[in-house]
Amino acid sequence: MAIKKKSSKHSSNSNGNRGRNGPSRSSPDRTDLRTYSIPDTRLEHPDLTVRQVIEKDKDGAEHIRYEVTGNLNAPVPPIRDSKYLDKKQCIEIYRYMLLNRKMETALENLYKQGKVVGGVYFGLGQEACSCASAYALDKDDWFAPMIRNQGSLLVRGFRASDTMMQYMAKADSPTRGRDGTSHFGDIEKRNMVSPISMLGDLIPVMAGVALGARLQGRNLAVMTYIGDGGQSTGVTYEGINFAAVQNLGLVLFVESNLWAYSTPSEIQYRCKDLAERAIGYGIPGVIVDGTDACQVYDAAHEAVERAHRGEGPTMIEAKMMRMKGHAIHDAAAYVPKPMFDFWKKRDPIARFENYLVKEKKWLTAKENAELIAEVERVIEAEREIAVNSPMPTPESAEGGVFCEDGCHEIKPKYGMPKVKKGTGGFKETEAAVHLK
Amino acid sequence: MQLTYLEAIRQGIWEEMDRDPSVFCLGEDIGIYGGAFKVTDGLIDRFGPERVIDTPIAESAIVGAAFGASLTGVRPVAEFQFMDFIGCAFNQISNMVAKTHYLWGAPAPLVLRGPSGGYVHGGPFHSQNPEMWFVHNPGLKVICPATPYDAKGLIKAAIRDNNPCIFFEHKYLYRRIKGEVPAEDYVVPIGKANIVREGRDLSIITYAAMVHTALEAAEVLSKEGIDLEILDLRTVSPLDREAIAQTVKKTNKVIILHEHSRTGGLAGEIAAIINEEAFDDLDGPIVRIAGLDSAVPFSPPQEEHYLPKVSDVIREARRLKAY
Repeated sequence: MAIKKKSSKHSSNSNGNRGRNGPSRSSPDRTDLRTYSIPDTRLEHPDLTVRQVIEKDKDGAEHIRYEVTGNLNAPVPPIRDSKYLDKKQCIEIYRYMLLNRKMETALENLYKQGKVVGGVYFGLGQEACSCASAYALDKDDWFAPMIRNQGSLLVRGFRASDTMMQYMAKADSPTRGRDGTSHFGDIEKRNMVSPISMLGDLIPVMAGVALGARLQGRNLAVMTYIGDGGQSTGVTYEGINFAAVQNLGLVLFVESNLWAYSTPSEIQYRCKDLAERAIGYGIPGVIVDGTDACQVYDAAHEAVERAHRGEGPTMIEAKMMRMKGHAIHDAAAYVPKPMFDFWKKRDPIARFENYLVKEKKWLTAKENAELIAEVERVIEAEREIAVNSPMPTPESAEGGVFCEDGCHEIKPKYGMPKVKKGTGGFKETEAAVHLK
Repeated sequence: MQLTYLEAIRQGIWEEMDRDPSVFCLGEDIGIYGGAFKVTDGLIDRFGPERVIDTPIAESAIVGAAFGASLTGVRPVAEFQFMDFIGCAFNQISNMVAKTHYLWGAPAPLVLRGPSGGYVHGGPFHSQNPEMWFVHNPGLKVICPATPYDAKGLIKAAIRDNNPCIFFEHKYLYRRIKGEVPAEDYVVPIGKANIVREGRDLSIITYAAMVHTALEAAEVLSKEGIDLEILDLRTVSPLDREAIAQTVKKTNKVIILHEHSRTGGLAGEIAAIINEEAFDDLDGPIVRIAGLDSAVPFSPPQEEHYLPKVSDVIREARRLKAY
């Protein structure tokens, strides 16, 4: 063994030198009872439950259907005032949410005109979560969207035409036709990792981005998303656990949008709230109303700050509902209609608009109308750019499989890691090993 | 200096970490313990726990984290305790890592390395040669060295490469072979095969531990007047098509020898390349010697029956010579 002396100075980020996160001891005399807490900033706690029931059709044939029970007439909660956002920032997030929705409306129309290759995925009802989360990142932070986080891309500086061209498989799309949807990235300027269709794989990848940056002396926040469906994958566990043990600045939004394609969350997981799983990882977990941009931002901001301080990952569960089918082909007929009605009243944009115009009076009705008209003009111009981009040539399918000489210069983005070298030297080993 | 195959790999990683502070290692039990086979022994003492990272038993997380880190411009070297376990990370490698540069233009300079191969009675989950899972994945370089010299030169080349490289170390060779390894810095180019024995009668195209099997057979056969040429592929993806064609054009008869199962194995691909590049030069059928189409069995007599042997090469070479 090369090192016999014990060092009293442990850096907080080296392997194996941290204490475990654990329960608080709220009651010193009850050592047999552990208590954990999951902060929940929501102003309402919907109690809806979905279950399978047998229904008879008019001919008397039996069919299994989903039925929703609970207080479907609960009053719509107000927007919670942000602890951090000012008027200007709130309006900016609102504008991104409008851009997000109007871009998706334009995509729906392009699809109906036969201009989209494949399907269209929507983030309808989830715009607050996509936009306000990404808004909390600093320029140097990294993010990786999922399919419904098209709003996050707009916040991070991508253009609506980028996403539109992806859907239309155009030559000028960020992947030059090679992939669609939000499947693209940019490691140079906007620090975005491309998603793949398989769910959960981005979580360890983003942990690795934080690990690479930390080697270079930077504590970055790395934000990504997983659905209530995607969190069932094993790699989700592996990724969060890796980020936790390595104390990496992962900001994981668990988007509980109640439906995994056609499967309700009741059949995806058994715990009450997915944020509870944070306890098992030894990391903070919080619950927010995913339709309230202020709550989403505040939780994201606090998680990003934690990441920048080198305090490790945070799991944020955002509760909302996917307000369309899985993709444009899916009419979501399996969703009980009263559930759509319930969540439609909680539309993130309509409520934020009401908050800004009527409650806070940060926008006059005229200013709001002008803002909406401006967003529509932007989207129309972006649509024009996208539509006018040519299709790629057949031959452009070739090449680029490998990074060839001169194609990229690879160097540490944040500076060469500072090297501390021990005194250990290269030695020959003749040790007991597995399978000689 | 004379080094074992294992020490040559360690020295290659060591020198690269010394030369380039952006190189770091991660994997299971690679730190204080030094790895299940001790390939990374001593690295943590020298380079510290920030650059020699013990991970949870989570292969997808190891590959994912290596990939994510590589996107920030550092060069991870991730160890699989056994290459059999690379299947646990298959999606991450195949769908995330391999497709990245083609789809969105991000280079992923990472190395995935670990022990593979049989002849050590490791049983079905510690003896596999899963390189073909990755040969069929465009975007990955797949490297299988046979000698200490090549192992060191190729691990250094893999670490310096701007693409994801999967580096299969043959665990049977780890401590069984020693070879001369120069003290000065060198790399062995990825994608270049090497004639390890010149001959005129027929060619054996092979790699990794099977190179030594072929060399042993060649010694026996030379006494019978059968002169084998042995081409060590060294890299199985991308394949050195030119070297394959050249040796066939020279000897006109070819045996392809590999350890993994026959069906869908590398020999089929090489036979197709010969068909495309040197069909008119063939004076006999292309012969395959490969593992059985089953899992690698555990019990020594069964494992020996499953795996290619020197006697198999001798038998097939005599048959092909007489054709």
